[in-house]
Amino acid sequence: MFRFLRLSVLFAVLFVSAGSHAADASQPLSTADDLGPQVDQPIEFPHDRHAGDAAQGGMQINCMYCHTYARRSMTAGIPPTQKCIGCHQSIESVRETPRIKKLFEYWEAKKPIPWKKVHDLPDFVRFHHERHIQRFYFQQGKPVQEVCGYCHGNVKTMTVARRTKSLSMGWCVSCHEKQHPVDAASTKTAQGPNDCWQCHK
Amino acid sequence: MSVNNLLENWAQFRHFHPVDDKPHDPYKWAMSIDLDACSGCNACSVACYAENNIPVVGKEKYAHGQAMHWIRIEHYWDEDIGVPGGREFPEQGAQFLPMMCQQCEAAPCETVCPVGATNHTADGLNSQIYNRCIGSRYCSANCPYKVRYFNWYDYPTTDNVWPETMTRQLNPDVTVRSKGVMEKCTFCVQRLNAAMSTARSEGRKVHDGEVQTACQQACPTNAISFGNLVDPESRVAKQWARQQVELTKDKQTKDAEPGGSRLRGYRILEELRPYPSVMYLERVRESAV
Amino acid sequence: MMENGFNRRDFLKVLGWGGTAVALSGCGNTSVEDGRETVNSYVEAADYVIPGIGVYFNSTCAQCDAGCSIMGKVREGRVLKLEGNPDSAINRGKTCGLGQAGVQHHYNPDRVREPLQRKGEIGVTITWEKAYELIAEKLKDVSGEEIAFLSGGVSGHLKVLLDNYLASFGCRNHFVYEALAPAVVRAANKKSYGVEMPRYNINKAKVVLSFGADFLGAWVSPVHFSQQYAQFRKGVDGERGVLIQIEPKMTLTGANADRWIPVRPGTEGVLALGIINALGTAGGDIAALVKDYDKVRVSKETGVPPGHIDKIAALLKLRSPSLVLAGSAAEGYAHGSQNAAAINLLNHVLGNVGKTVEAAAEVPFPQMAPARGNTAALKALNDGLAAGKYKVLFNYAANPIFTAPGGMKFKDNWAKADFKVVFAHYMDETALQADLVLPLDSALEDWGTHVPEYMADGAQINIQQPLMERLHANTRGMGDILLALIKQRRPEDYKSYEDYYGYLRAAMLQNKAALGGGGMDDDTFWSETLSKGIVKLAGAATTAVHSKAGATDLTLPAATQDAQYPLQLIPAVNVSLRDGRHANLPWLQESPDPLTTIVWDSWVEIHPKKALEMDITEGDIIEVTSRTGSVKAQAYLFPGIHPDAISIPLGQGHEALGRYAKGYGVNPFQILDAVFDKETGELAMHETRVKISKTGQRVIVVKDESAAGAKQIRKKIAGRMSTDNVDLSKEV
Repeated sequence: MFRFLRLSVLFAVLFVSAGSHAADASQPLSTADDLGPQVDQPIEFPHDRHAGDAAQGGMQINCMYCHTYARRSMTAGIPPTQKCIGCHQSIESVRETPRIKKLFEYWEAKKPIPWKKVHDLPDFVRFHHERHIQRFYFQQGKPVQEVCGYCHGNVKTMTVARRTKSLSMGWCVSCHEKQHPVDAASTKTAQGPNDCWQCHK
Repeated sequence: MSVNNLLENWAQFRHFHPVDDKPHDPYKWAMSIDLDACSGCNACSVACYAENNIPVVGKEKYAHGQAMHWIRIEHYWDEDIGVPGGREFPEQGAQFLPMMCQQCEAAPCETVCPVGATNHTADGLNSQIYNRCIGSRYCSANCPYKVRYFNWYDYPTTDNVWPETMTRQLNPDVTVRSKGVMEKCTFCVQRLNAAMSTARSEGRKVHDGEVQTACQQACPTNAISFGNLVDPESRVAKQWARQQVELTKDKQTKDAEPGGSRLRGYRILEELRPYPSVMYLERVRESAV
Repeated sequence: MMENGFNRRDFLKVLGWGGTAVALSGCGNTSVEDGRETVNSYVEAADYVIPGIGVYFNSTCAQCDAGCSIMGKVREGRVLKLEGNPDSAINRGKTCGLGQAGVQHHYNPDRVREPLQRKGEIGVTITWEKAYELIAEKLKDVSGEEIAFLSGGVSGHLKVLLDNYLASFGCRNHFVYEALAPAVVRAANKKSYGVEMPRYNINKAKVVLSFGADFLGAWVSPVHFSQQYAQFRKGVDGERGVLIQIEPKMTLTGANADRWIPVRPGTEGVLALGIINALGTAGGDIAALVKDYDKVRVSKETGVPPGHIDKIAALLKLRSPSLVLAGSAAEGYAHGSQNAAAINLLNHVLGNVGKTVEAAAEVPFPQMAPARGNTAALKALNDGLAAGKYKVLFNYAANPIFTAPGGMKFKDNWAKADFKVVFAHYMDETALQADLVLPLDSALEDWGTHVPEYMADGAQINIQQPLMERLHANTRGMGDILLALIKQRRPEDYKSYEDYYGYLRAAMLQNKAALGGGGMDDDTFWSETLSKGIVKLAGAATTAVHSKAGATDLTLPAATQDAQYPLQLIPAVNVSLRDGRHANLPWLQESPDPLTTIVWDSWVEIHPKKALEMDITEGDIIEVTSRTGSVKAQAYLFPGIHPDAISIPLGQGHEALGRYAKGYGVNPFQILDAVFDKETGELAMHETRVKISKTGQRVIVVKDESAAGAKQIRKKIAGRMSTDNVDLSKEV
């Protein structure tokens, strides 16, 4: 049996190396940044104002205060409009600014805001937000903005969020191949999974 | 995982099971199907269509053998019925056999894939990666169970496969496959992943019965059991043990007993040594009538 | 599951918005496309609603009358999949293929979306206000006696509302028509046991002797019986149950039998009496009745070898309790009632009544009990229409122009009513002949209560609730329509109910104590009821079953010969398509017939021996002619049928309904003779005699099995053991 298997590996070499150059080039193992396009959103949501450092005039709100689904579900989703209104109905100072007026228009019409997707993965990929937040925030005890920032970049300095990482498979694997401590206290490390079905659906 | 990386570290990426040096831990998903309970009603198959975004190909393509049913009910009649010189009627009925990917431990499909699109996972599944697949169809040719299905057409854009409004039923956890890729039963890997993830977040292993495959959940006679073979307390592990069917053997010890064993468990085409993960329990028929 | 004070309708509305973006891209999409897709967020969301995680809501399956409880997986405002509700005693978490396909009714592209009024040959879209006005106008000058309402099986509050609506005109013409309901067996049961539908305990029987009852396929409550069957096979007191199926055409149940016995069509009752005779345990009247039914005579009439009769009798004596079932193959004759009575008599003789045949629990609200009926009702309507009695005709949940036997000429008589209103999901054959078509909500969008016809353990009322917001803005629930119509008649009495939901809630709360909600406040009771999807009625009354055998004056005719029409036509009930209402569900069209594996078509089953005589091979197009009409379909050689019979499945042959149904196969209802059971007046479905001839054309039969697949290639593929060689005692 094993002889037969070795033979098939050889076949695989022949087949794959013939057509693989392009695949090699497009998906390098890289942690390099790759800035995405500027996306126009229905409301220019100022992430810097909400999450930015106090020194820069930010409110230092925890990412997960609004993005509550990310730690509970595979999908991060977008916070419901209700969430915005929850605070903004009692913040009179900015009530009449154009963006907040727009927000209340949507709210009063009970229409969802048609946000544009900034971090879009192909439909055959399953990225599990909950697992990553569990691993790095809850187990390893890293600061939340750093954990989200692994994939989303330094959002607290942006107005409208913009993609800064390539989010390609090679980019994912470059991190999965590293040794990460299993929790805050331990010196034991582990890699991310490399089973195809962990991420491909 | 670049291709060079893949080739250099081939042996590491590709496990040949059963192996002694790397036992499954903590999961090895397996199934057992009681053919005495199975009534052949086809509920499992329809449930699978619903769960896994399987396209309905229509009459013409069905006639060409292009049906996509990941789980199908095969049925068998005794060969001497209704033929000249044989018996007139099938007096003990038909025999039904639900057939789906057997998630072989040494899967014949995996070794022939030229691009490594089908691989063995750590929890004993035979994965199929659609966007890696180039459609050589070697895997299907090499599958002894004929449970791999090829997308001859781009079903998402084919008329009346998923017309407007029908699209909204599609399961977002399962890819909608396009033309030129192979697909097959996944043991409902999307359900497995969800359950394993919940269990990990809660710092435990998946309980027995926590995750059901779509076919198992629908089955009106509970003929299908599914679970973790590594956990000796799981129902499926108990069934395998009681039936003396061992995953890593290509000839079961019990079959060597003189006069045959009185146990029903068997695996299909075991002698070809694919080490399938599905055990069937033989159908029983009353001898007194 | 439900949050108090949270308005469910609003909640669904919000969800509905979120559910509009659906990605349907395949593997081709390998690039990451920022800003191309919109992601719709919720406006408001309850705490338990999390994107990416399915929430299950309980409801009731409306695919057949069995009343299985389901839970719908709802994600991002869409219902994705239906599963069985484990708390229901009927289906215990399981579903059949038909139930799974419920979502395809909901998302079907061929649903009627707007009210339509006939203008010549076309339907013109009108508003609901206009439609209601039109109905009011048409009803203005007719008396109650000139109005007829035809419906399929209805139960629960919808039935109450319908009864009240018809009563408001003094109309007593509610005809209930379910083409495949076991009406003759019900009537026979009433006589034999004192109840129409007793509780059958297959799981307590050691032997089940079924005369054509396809309880694993399409008979009464198949998911429930399948569960019982699984227990029965595992063993009662350690003894594995034995199933003997007696029928002229093999059903799914027959294919699972330990012994399948083909009987000459129509002689099931004779065989039953022959078995009583062979048992030799009956005394008195019964002994006198069966004394002439000795083995030799019975064997000659039924075609069952005397040895089989002895074996069955011996087995029944040895293993008790047993259970004898009379199914649709036995009831479909002019002497169907007699057949069923003879078969039921066996249960009395064997002492099964009270053990495996028990009284079923009853819902203590008789007005909600399911309205039952079959072709006798349709015939009464048909006769009335023919005589010009009815001016206005309503039709709901039935497709009589498709399912009425051809011999009845129903379509011609239908046209004699002046104004026909059809409440429809699809433009089916009947809706096409309507003057006004009113589009209905799908079963996954509508509110309702259902009383299952077959009660499993205790009595229960099933709740149906919307699993998502309406897919099409202009469909309405049947309850809402009836409420609007009854408000035209009795505005004062019904003005307090804004919609059917309000009516339902009020009606349920009114009987809170009787429904097990004593001591609870209204909101708690209601939200709990919705959350569970089932109201279990503890301590519901049961009517005792008769323990004594009833009338024994049975006259069972011997099978007749007909030189001109030599074959008996058996219209087979397909597990998925039933009477044809599910033919537009692509999953079911592509779900192979369990026995022949044929898809997307009709076929004529013929025994290989008969086929050889007539030089017919698989795929030959043959013409099947009865006294009423003829159809042409492909031949399929099938050993599981009596050589004196042929069989065509029901459900196909639609001229309308939708893209997945229209133009596939033939409709055997069209060639059924109008022969009726003498006692009940129900259609004798199996009484049509036919002749067949080859047309010379031939097709390739589209089926799942291939010639090679049918052989076992000397390897153990589908294993089978005899009970002698197996030890089941230690199995898990």
